[in-house]
Amino acid sequence: MKRNLFSLMSLLVLASMILAACGGGPVATQVATDEPAAPPTEAPTKEAPATEPPAAYEGVKAEAPNCDYGGEVKSIEAVDEFTVKISLCVPDPALPSKIAFSSFAIQPQEHLEATNGSPLENPVGTGPYKVESWERGNQLVFSRFDEYWGDPAMSKTLVFRWGTESAQRLLELQSGTVDGIDNPGPDDFATIEADSNLQLIPRPALNIMYIGFNNNPKVDGFDNSKNPLANEKVRQAIAMGIDRQRIVDNFYPAGSEVASHFTPCSIPNGCVGDDWYSFDAAAAKTLLAEAGYPDGFETVLNYRDVVRGYLPDPNIVAQDIQAQLKTNLNITLKIEVMESGAFLDAADSGQLTGLYMLGWGADYPDQTNFLGYHFGAGSSAQFGDKFPDVVDAIEQGAQLASDADRAPFYEAANNAIKTHVPMIPVAHGGSAVAYKAGLEGNPHASPLGNESFAVMGNGTDTFVWMQNAEPISLYCADETDGESLRACEQVTQSLLGYEVGGTAVEPVLAESYEANADLTEWIFHLRQGVLFHDGSSFDANDVVTSLVVQWDAANPLHTGNTGGFSYWSGLFGPFLNAPAP
Amino acid sequence: MANTISKLDAEAISLESVSLWSITKKRLFRRKSAVVGMIILGILIFVALTAQWLAPYDPVKSMLDVPDYAGQAQKRLPPCIHLLGCPKESPQHIMGLDGVIRDEFSRLLYGARLSLMIGFSTVTFAILVGTVLGALAGYFGGWVDNAIMRVMDVLLAFPSLLLAIAIVTVLGPGLINALLAIGIVSIPAYARVMRGSVLLVREMDFVSATRSLGGNAFDILFRRILPNALTPLIVQGTLGIATAILDAAALSFLGLGAQPPTPEWGAMLGSERNQVFTAPHLVFYPGLAIMLTVLAFNLLGDGLRDALDPRLANVS
Repeated sequence: MKRNLFSLMSLLVLASMILAACGGGPVATQVATDEPAAPPTEAPTKEAPATEPPAAYEGVKAEAPNCDYGGEVKSIEAVDEFTVKISLCVPDPALPSKIAFSSFAIQPQEHLEATNGSPLENPVGTGPYKVESWERGNQLVFSRFDEYWGDPAMSKTLVFRWGTESAQRLLELQSGTVDGIDNPGPDDFATIEADSNLQLIPRPALNIMYIGFNNNPKVDGFDNSKNPLANEKVRQAIAMGIDRQRIVDNFYPAGSEVASHFTPCSIPNGCVGDDWYSFDAAAAKTLLAEAGYPDGFETVLNYRDVVRGYLPDPNIVAQDIQAQLKTNLNITLKIEVMESGAFLDAADSGQLTGLYMLGWGADYPDQTNFLGYHFGAGSSAQFGDKFPDVVDAIEQGAQLASDADRAPFYEAANNAIKTHVPMIPVAHGGSAVAYKAGLEGNPHASPLGNESFAVMGNGTDTFVWMQNAEPISLYCADETDGESLRACEQVTQSLLGYEVGGTAVEPVLAESYEANADLTEWIFHLRQGVLFHDGSSFDANDVVTSLVVQWDAANPLHTGNTGGFSYWSGLFGPFLNAPAP
Repeated sequence: MANTISKLDAEAISLESVSLWSITKKRLFRRKSAVVGMIILGILIFVALTAQWLAPYDPVKSMLDVPDYAGQAQKRLPPCIHLLGCPKESPQHIMGLDGVIRDEFSRLLYGARLSLMIGFSTVTFAILVGTVLGALAGYFGGWVDNAIMRVMDVLLAFPSLLLAIAIVTVLGPGLINALLAIGIVSIPAYARVMRGSVLLVREMDFVSATRSLGGNAFDILFRRILPNALTPLIVQGTLGIATAILDAAALSFLGLGAQPPTPEWGAMLGSERNQVFTAPHLVFYPGLAIMLTVLAFNLLGDGLRDALDPRLANVS
């Protein structure tokens, strides 16, 4: 009897589990597969009648009630089916450069709605390649988009693979399993150059490696009054106590240089103002003693163990900085390596309490991308509290049109940065891309790190590229990592873009644009007949939606990956309807 | 009365054990592999003890920070040995320089100290805890046995390195935490061995005799049973040191153990792993050092097992 009861019970439990599994499963997957599939079939039927009488086109418009919210954008409007108008609160001569950046790529309005504002793995773009499949942890496969509006991609299939070890990447290239690799190790440059089967293409050093400090970390229970790094003199002492020349000479490849300023000199107004502190261990020690730490102190050095053009050998450089600060200032650094994504999140949200090594590669060649992004009003919390004199100078400089007019403001900003030392600029790192020899088309290295693989091929159907790390997601409106951006750039496009292998802005989804005299109203004339990968056609509403979901924090689609949308706030200032801090 | 007898008893045991040890020693030295193990180990211990005098440079100091450094410091410089024809004007680096321009040879010497320390401390910790747990389980049996050994079974069910990684992840990376983790994961092996020995010895006549003479449980367990159950533990411990060194090196290789600039072999290997082709000496030497050390302990452990096994008494 007892046994019967038991078996009955277990049968019931089993039955309910099966029910739960079957009942829950299919419903959930149906929703997931239906949603992205539905819009493409509906969208054309909806739009088809709308195109016949042009007057019936309902353009979307988003507008800030006024400019008091602090951001740069006043309104974004679809004037007609193929015209978009962006009004600004303040003049912005760099708008074309900014809007060309891949974070502001255009996706169909319907797709953004269907994915609830976070098309993380299935972006729908207008580019030469569309996403075929993404096996997380293994590879990312793109296939040629046959209805692409421009020159078709040279290879039918493009494969992205990744490996954090430079030796592994080189080995794969040598054995011929991949066609190109990013960032070969500095010690391997000579090997590649000597190998007639390979070619090394140097990438100009349009980047910066810096040692950052947070003067007011946002960590629960952290007592900032006891934080030595909150003291400006301590930061200045560290800036003087690190021999940057030694780091560059010993641990960077040829083509690298010591950073005299945060921004590389090849960017207009990049290095106006005083040069950075020169190395002076004695003066640094005195300054540190003045600040109240004659015997040094203990803190942490965080970094991510990934190779970037600006930091070819993070582990080694970290240990040299550790040794230098110990010898010169008796500051004891505890090295803590972090996972890449977690490290960036912690830095951006201001949770790193010690020193950290990070860097930046140019997205577009303008000061707003360097000083503006890092130290401007909309910058992240990575350096802690902002410095009003730096912020003001950057804001004023960004609004002027000519480089000569902007120079005094960027000079003031650079000098103020030197005084406050929110970070120590270390090096502009030379890096390279290596390809198999004898590729077709135009194998290149882009100073912006956005190599376009549509213009190169190896004579077969498949081109394989191996980079340092897996993309974090493929919705690049909410990514800042170069490994993600490069993958997005194969798939999605912005209104404007950068020339292949260069930095000049050229038309992409907008055929032309014009601005009024004071650079506050910009009209973009869109390319007609462009198709998205899902078959829907590209129009002004897609543009407005793609931008507004980033701009308007109250927009239901303002979700993204983490919801940070750092590029928007970094480039255009605070969000519209931003929640009160 | 009881006193005199236990005194006699103790005398008998000590006499017996002296002869056991001398037999063991004789047998051990007759085994060539064990002798090789002991020689390597002897060298290692010597190096570990005298590292600060043997090492030509500070293991954590970059050549760039060495005052009056004669040569041109260059990262990952291949070995320069004067005896083998390296020009006299460039300073001698027997094993070259590492990526941070430190003398690889000095680091390797200090690494020996660290590795031995890791091996002995983790195994000591594991043996102490494991022995007590195993002895209690074996002696008292019943629910005590069940409770302790089931927990040990759970620990044994995880791959040891994986469990160590999990523990370090919780505690945070660092050498001490890595030692603790490796210590914890090696407890069950000792507890099991100890429990087995105690079960065997517990039923022997001399234990029954002590019990009938009114010795308390503590006395019987730690003064009668334990010394007679130690043999398998010694073998297990010697082999365990090898595993512990290997596990610690693996954790450090993954960046979870010794933190830079500590000259730990696994960490040295890990930080230069990308230089296998461009600077093989930086991967070869630490790897070789780890291999030799582990080999030495394994040879010695094997030799000890054979030497201590009474069943093999007539073989050698």
